[in-house]
Amino acid sequence: MVVFFRAGSELRHKLQPDVDFYTRRVETQAGKSVKDILRDIGLDPAFVAFIYVEGKVKNLDYVPTEGQSVTLQPPVSGG
Amino acid sequence: MSLSEREKERYRRQLGVRSWDQERLKAASVFIAGVGGLGGTSALYLALAGVGRIRIVDRDRVDPSNLNRQVLYGEDSSGCLKVDEAGRRLSEANPHIIIETSSEPIGRESLDRLAAGVSLILDGLDNMEARFALNEYSVRHRVPYLYGAVCGWQGMVGLFHPPVTACLACLLSSEQEAKPEVPVFGCLPGTVGLLQATEALKYLMGLEPALLGKLLIYDGRDMTFDLVDMAKNPACPVCSGAV
Repeated sequence: MVVFFRAGSELRHKLQPDVDFYTRRVETQAGKSVKDILRDIGLDPAFVAFIYVEGKVKNLDYVPTEGQSVTLQPPVSGG
Repeated sequence: MSLSEREKERYRRQLGVRSWDQERLKAASVFIAGVGGLGGTSALYLALAGVGRIRIVDRDRVDPSNLNRQVLYGEDSSGCLKVDEAGRRLSEANPHIIIETSSEPIGRESLDRLAAGVSLILDGLDNMEARFALNEYSVRHRVPYLYGAVCGWQGMVGLFHPPVTACLACLLSSEQEAKPEVPVFGCLPGTVGLLQATEALKYLMGLEPALLGKLLIYDGRDMTFDLVDMAKNPACPVCSGAV
């Protein structure tokens, strides 16, 4: 199964995009959570504050489906 | 609350905007937590717009490293309390409104005094601990909380109003590690602060805020805006008991 991870600028260098400037194509097994997939590709889930999929915020236990695009949001705390 | 002739002249260009309610703005009060990059920008435009009472709270003093983005301060402000400088600038910008200032640290106990009686809480903070205190106050007192944050090229703004919407703790874990000083380019907090000010004005005039229960995520590097829905977390440690 393939999913696409997309990351904003502060996470981008950690994600190592390969599809375009923002996106990395990841082959994984169906049924795995985003947290598990992140670990599989060597990206510490602690760098991700939350994710969103199809315009809705999800937590890292979300299980993506074939072809879905998952946006990873790093912590943003400044003011 | 009626407007003087002087006020009508000052606000003439915005009085013609459809659905604009200047008298309602004059009667409104906002609590702005932090007057740095976000809060300073928001405060300036809320003052110019004529929000009747603006309470600003910040314990920090102006540091030279603030001056790439914090528009209320200049070289001469270095070392001064931000609220003193900001209060003076805002009163100069609009003498028809009331500016209240405090340099008391923002925490769970002090908020009961600092935010008492306001219509809206606007987040201009730079740390998560105080943000979670604001969030708890918002949940406890049902005061809407206009969240904003920036880092690097990214910023976000959203409006929490529990129990109608999710709260900050539904979205973020309070255990999340935050950097003590985040990198940020000058325009970013200005952009996000103006988005916050726009949402604040609509809410204060009784117009439907577009970001109620939503988060707008802006990436200045890519020039993208993502709008996402924030769902309530039924197991939220802060708002799940609120009805």
